[in-house]
Order: sequence, then C-alpha cells, then structure tokens
Amino acid sequence: MKILYGDEWRAFDLTGLSVGVLVPPDQAARIVPAVVGSARAVKVFQDSPVWVVPVAVPRVGPVVSLARLHLRMAVRDAWTRRLLTPGRFGSREVVVSPSYYRALEQPHCKLVAWPVYAIVEHGVRTAEGIEHRLDVLITANPLGKAKAA
Amino acid sequence: MTYDFDAMLQTIKDKQWSLADIEWDAPGAETMTDELRAKMQPFLADLVWIEHVGARGFASLARKAPTPVVREIYEYFHAEEQKHANAELALMKRWGMLDEDGSIPEPNINVKLAIKTLDAFGDSLPLSALATLIPLLECALDGALVKFLLDEVSDPVCHEVFRHINSDEARHITVDFQVLELIGAGPMHRLLVESASNLKPQVVLGLIVVFVPLINKMRDNIVAMGLPEQKLYNAVKRFRTIGGRGEYTHRIPAYHVLKAQAAMVIDRSHPYHRLLADPMVKVTSFVPARILGRPQTWVDEVTHEPVAS
Repeated sequence: MKILYGDEWRAFDLTGLSVGVLVPPDQAARIVPAVVGSARAVKVFQDSPVWVVPVAVPRVGPVVSLARLHLRMAVRDAWTRRLLTPGRFGSREVVVSPSYYRALEQPHCKLVAWPVYAIVEHGVRTAEGIEHRLDVLITANPLGKAKAA
Repeated sequence: MTYDFDAMLQTIKDKQWSLADIEWDAPGAETMTDELRAKMQPFLADLVWIEHVGARGFASLARKAPTPVVREIYEYFHAEEQKHANAELALMKRWGMLDEDGSIPEPNINVKLAIKTLDAFGDSLPLSALATLIPLLECALDGALVKFLLDEVSDPVCHEVFRHINSDEARHITVDFQVLELIGAGPMHRLLVESASNLKPQVVLGLIVVFVPLINKMRDNIVAMGLPEQKLYNAVKRFRTIGGRGEYTHRIPAYHVLKAQAAMVIDRSHPYHRLLADPMVKVTSFVPARILGRPQTWVDEVTHEPVAS
C-alpha cells in the first residue's frame, strides 16, 4: 500500500485503484469528491463527523438546521445519516461542501466509521476486527509513518 | 477515588486485535463432530445476534455518554462487540455452519423486534436504563453463554478467539460498572427525573413486548441446548455482586428494577414466567416479520471475512 501525505494525492494517478481516505473531516469533504471520479473504490475512514452545508452561510442563525436538512436530502440511508451526524461532544465546526455527501453516495464509495487502530502493510485495521485492503492511503498525518508496520 | 477512564481508553487502544491475527485454517476444526455441530449451530447463531444487537446498544450509549472520554470508550466497545459477532461468524464458517453465501442465519422474531426497537428508539432511551441493561447482558454473555461454549467445544482456534473476546469483555464490564458509579454519584433529583422519564410509553412497552420475550426465548432456547441453569444463576449473581460493591450504583432505580427482573428470569418457577414472559413469547410469535419493515443497514454489516477489499 502506498501512503500519500497531505496534498501528494493531487500529483498521483488514482485511476482504477482502491483508495482509503484517513484525514480530518474538513479535508475529507475536499478530497473525497475529487478522488471518487477516478478511483475504483474509495473508503472514507471517519473519526468523528462534522456538520456539512452545501453553500457558505453566515455562522449565525440556524446553520445546524440547514446542515441537518442537507444531510436528510443528500443521504438516503438512515444508518449512514446517523454516522454522519455529530454527537453532543462533536465538533462545532461547519464544513462547506456541495459535493461531499453526493460523493459518499456513489456505489463504489464507503463510509467506515469504526475507529482505526493501525496502518499495516496492505491496508488499515479498524476496531471491528477487519483489515481494509487498499492500494493507496491518503492521510494528513505524517505520524502515520511511525505507526506503519 | 475517581476512576481513570483515560488510562482505560489507552489500554483499550493498546489491546486491539483483528480477525486477520487468527489462523482460521489451523488444525482443530475436525473436533467439531456432526452431533456437536447440529447442537451448537443454533446456539452460535443466537450468540452472533446477541453480540450484533449489543453492539448497536453501545452505539446508542456512545450518544449518551457523560464525558467525551467515555464516549470514545463506548465507540470502541461498539466496534469490539461487532468484532465479536464477526469472529463468531468466522468460527461458524470454519465449522461449516453457514450456507454457501456465508451470511448470518435469519434471526427469530424477538431479535427482529429488538432491532426494530433499537432503530426507532435506541438513541432516545435514557442513559441510566441503557447503561444498566448492557452490563447485565454482558454478565450473562460472559458468565454463562461463553463458558458453556468453551466447555462444549475443544477446537483450539475457538479457545484462542475467546481469549481475546473474554479479555475485551472484562474491560467492558469494568467500564460499564464504573459508568454506573458515575451516574449513581449524580444528584438524586436528576436520577429521579431520569427514572421518571424511563416510564415513557415506548420504554415500558419496549420492555414488556420486546425485552421480556426476547430474554425468555433466548433463556429457554439455551437451556434446552444444554446450558446448566446454575450458570445463568451465577451470571446474575455476578451482576448483583459487582453492582453491590459500588458506592453509588445502588442509587440508580433502573439497577434495582433490572436486578429484580433478572432474578425472576433465572428462577423458572417464578410466576413471572407463567403470567408475563411465556404469554409474551407466545403473542410475539404471531407477529408477522414483514410488518416490521426493513431494518437499518447496520444489520448487514456483520462479516466472517477478516480482510475486506
């Protein structure tokens, strides 16, 4: 598995590859729509969700209601919506992305909300006991290098 | 002294294991005789469903957690229960207990009702009710069901898998009871208000229509498969003992309600069975599964494959 840090993925041809995205949610909202077109399969490893709005709105007023409505309209599956809904200790950040949820809805894109506990030679291991095999892992954290087995 | 949840979270992270760590083709599968296979297949199918539905319970608990660290611990526990369901399904696969497509056997109507209830109300159940129910189920699982399985099956791979599972479960039970201490130490008025809110119609109805027959059906199924009733008795005794050791747990009304119910469940001669539980098992057996609709997609997430591409 090839690990790409930060913006390295921009210069990398992902055509036909199985790609994992392990980055904070604001970056995932930017990266996932960009890679989902070329990759064969995309797995988005989510630590904790944030609210996403389709257009920039002032941070006053019912921004969370708008984000909730956006989520309800854009994501069909009730359980996936739950996984994408921030909890009471969740981040207060609001991310602007018109295409993140649409990208997640692609049949070859999968949201993985299980905690990631190790990056290994061929993929990422999550706490539900499964090793997710990948060709490429896009991650923001250079410390991931130290963890890689 | 306050419990160090941060240290526990670190331990949980350090102790993670994967299905890929297990050699599923190692020798020993031949110890599963045809006779034992026929006996254990329905038992394991029930066990996988208990773990899988238990995992969903932790997902709701994570939403209710009193602190961010406890929330993160519950998120791991949610995943670990799912891992246990996955590992037990992989054991079923190893022993030739699954059909060709390797899918989990269809659950009975009472499990389906429990899934429906969790989908509809899981996230709105009060913390104290859910936080009390989960350790009771874990004591039963850990103390009775798993011990029974390990007594019956000699396959070394099964014993290796359950060494991991038991070590996880020991941490679950420790945290579950420490959270009860945390809840119990809260102001009495809050406990009373929350307990009063437990009396919402969906909770009471859920308890009587879903939980009572679910537990009784499982209880009778498993005893019929050969689980000694003494093991169930010991499991409930453990719940009482650990809960009784705590300084504040006894202040939680839900703890006393579930403790009393558990005592009735294990005593087959108690009128609880004749007057409530047995009729509810009978009534729910007439519920057509199709009226429940399709469950949420978490139900499909269990897998016996250690590696996903």
